[in-house]
Amino acid sequence: MSLAAEAFVSQMAAAEPWPETATLYQPLKEDQILLSDCASSLAVQAYLRMCGLPVQVVCRANAEYMSPSGKIPFIHVGNQVVSELGPIVQFTKAKGHSLSDGLDDVQRAEMKAYMELVNNMLLTAELYIQWCDDATAAEISRPRYSSPYSWPLSNILAYQKQWEVRRKMNAVGWGGKTLEQVYEDVSQCCQALSQRLGTQQYFFNKQPTELDALVFGHLFTILTTRLTSTELAEKIKSYGNLLSFCRRIEQTYFEDKSSS
Amino acid sequence: MELRCWGGDWGLPSVHSESLIVLAYTKFAGAKVTVSPVDWTWKTLTATVPELVCGDSAVQEPTPIVNFLRKQRFNADFELSARQGADTMAYIALLEEKLRPALLHTFWVDAENYANLTRPWFASRSPFPLNFLVPPRHANIALSRILLTKGEAPLHRITEVEGKIYSDAKECLNLLSYRLGTENYFFGNSPTSLDAFVFGFVAPLYKAGLPSSPLQSHLRQLDNVTRFCDNILAVYFSSDHPCPPPLVQETMDANLQKLTQLVNKESNLIEKMDDNLRSSPQHKPHRPDPKPSLASEKNSTPA
Repeated sequence: MSLAAEAFVSQMAAAEPWPETATLYQPLKEDQILLSDCASSLAVQAYLRMCGLPVQVVCRANAEYMSPSGKIPFIHVGNQVVSELGPIVQFTKAKGHSLSDGLDDVQRAEMKAYMELVNNMLLTAELYIQWCDDATAAEISRPRYSSPYSWPLSNILAYQKQWEVRRKMNAVGWGGKTLEQVYEDVSQCCQALSQRLGTQQYFFNKQPTELDALVFGHLFTILTTRLTSTELAEKIKSYGNLLSFCRRIEQTYFEDKSSS
Repeated sequence: MELRCWGGDWGLPSVHSESLIVLAYTKFAGAKVTVSPVDWTWKTLTATVPELVCGDSAVQEPTPIVNFLRKQRFNADFELSARQGADTMAYIALLEEKLRPALLHTFWVDAENYANLTRPWFASRSPFPLNFLVPPRHANIALSRILLTKGEAPLHRITEVEGKIYSDAKECLNLLSYRLGTENYFFGNSPTSLDAFVFGFVAPLYKAGLPSSPLQSHLRQLDNVTRFCDNILAVYFSSDHPCPPPLVQETMDANLQKLTQLVNKESNLIEKMDDNLRSSPQHKPHRPDPKPSLASEKNSTPA
């Protein structure tokens, strides 16, 4: 999207309030969605719940092809379609819903930096494990990714996706890494997040921000997803404050809503 | 320890971001390294730059080199708290994700900058015939990296991402400016690895004579960030400082010596040729007229 179009969209967005019929699209939850997409989708859901904006989650086998950027998840609000957490945060801000308004400039810089740390390390590690670790790719990623399609299309699409992700890994210098090095990176990233969180309730004291939503989305998904090995989840489990942070957000924003 | 990196220009010790990060970190940590620029050698194509060679082991890329130096007890982050260490990681990720794509685009993909600044510079520093190979290779790597990391599948096209990567980069520079505030360095009074990374990323953008760059004009408005670069250059890389100049001077001297030797050889050759030329026409008048030559010989022997 060009800058002019973006500005226009945010102008338009400000005019209309958040509708009741907002929908979030993601791939099929049971048989198709992969760890990284599930994490991104959960992060957006957590963010919208923190803002108090209702959204209906819809699973579609072709969600990836429906998304304007080819990335998961995307939301359909009124007559607009926005994908990924960053643009969605901007979009809700234009509608007058923001979680980071209370932060000063330095805190906002810090929040953005930690969000990039999660994208740069956790998301890349998830993609690496899904598509570059041969055991995980063969047993989980390829069969799940191609589950809605019949042979030969299923194989073509799965290998095409794998090839694309591997090219990306080579471009960012992760192509030569071993699985152990990737686990080590994840561990370092979690240590940094754990240090930053300390004993606070959320990353910036009492109020959650988009950073909390993003971290929750990734950590909670890693903790609750079964992979070929449990090592990734084990890395997170060694940080007690991150575990209670996940539990806290789950209780506050997910369990209350479902029981009521 | 020997550090292989791209050479300097534009008032910088190296024009290459990654090389600059490592050079700055070695200065901050007080590690003594011999800097050997890859310029004009075949390493411009074959070596992964920067590369730190220490005995039998060779380490490449800034982050592994910084980690390696830390293990050798050259640690600029020694006084940081765990929380500040975490912040360092986060800000480095911010630079990688938000600033690097725009820098790659500015130097290697933007047609005007590439044709007028980057390609001539790197071509002039590569030996023939690599001067035809090295710049396009870098440009290709840069373009594919931008497209693969920031492009939107399935239509990978550069025009679609340009606007986004530049607005991201401007935001990143603003965030760095807020974070730095009025301080000299990011954490307290001494520079750390984060300062090395920021310096490496920002200084080439600040100092390069780019024909067209909205990002550069944006950076020049952020006084504290430009002051940060100038300060590091003055304190750690200026010729008044006792540590860095010998390295630069040595390479300069080596080059000068080679040049003098070459000039000497050439001038010897020219002299010989000159002698031959002089002697050949002299022989002709000598033979028809032997007496004056004898006379001259007689004259010359006593003299």
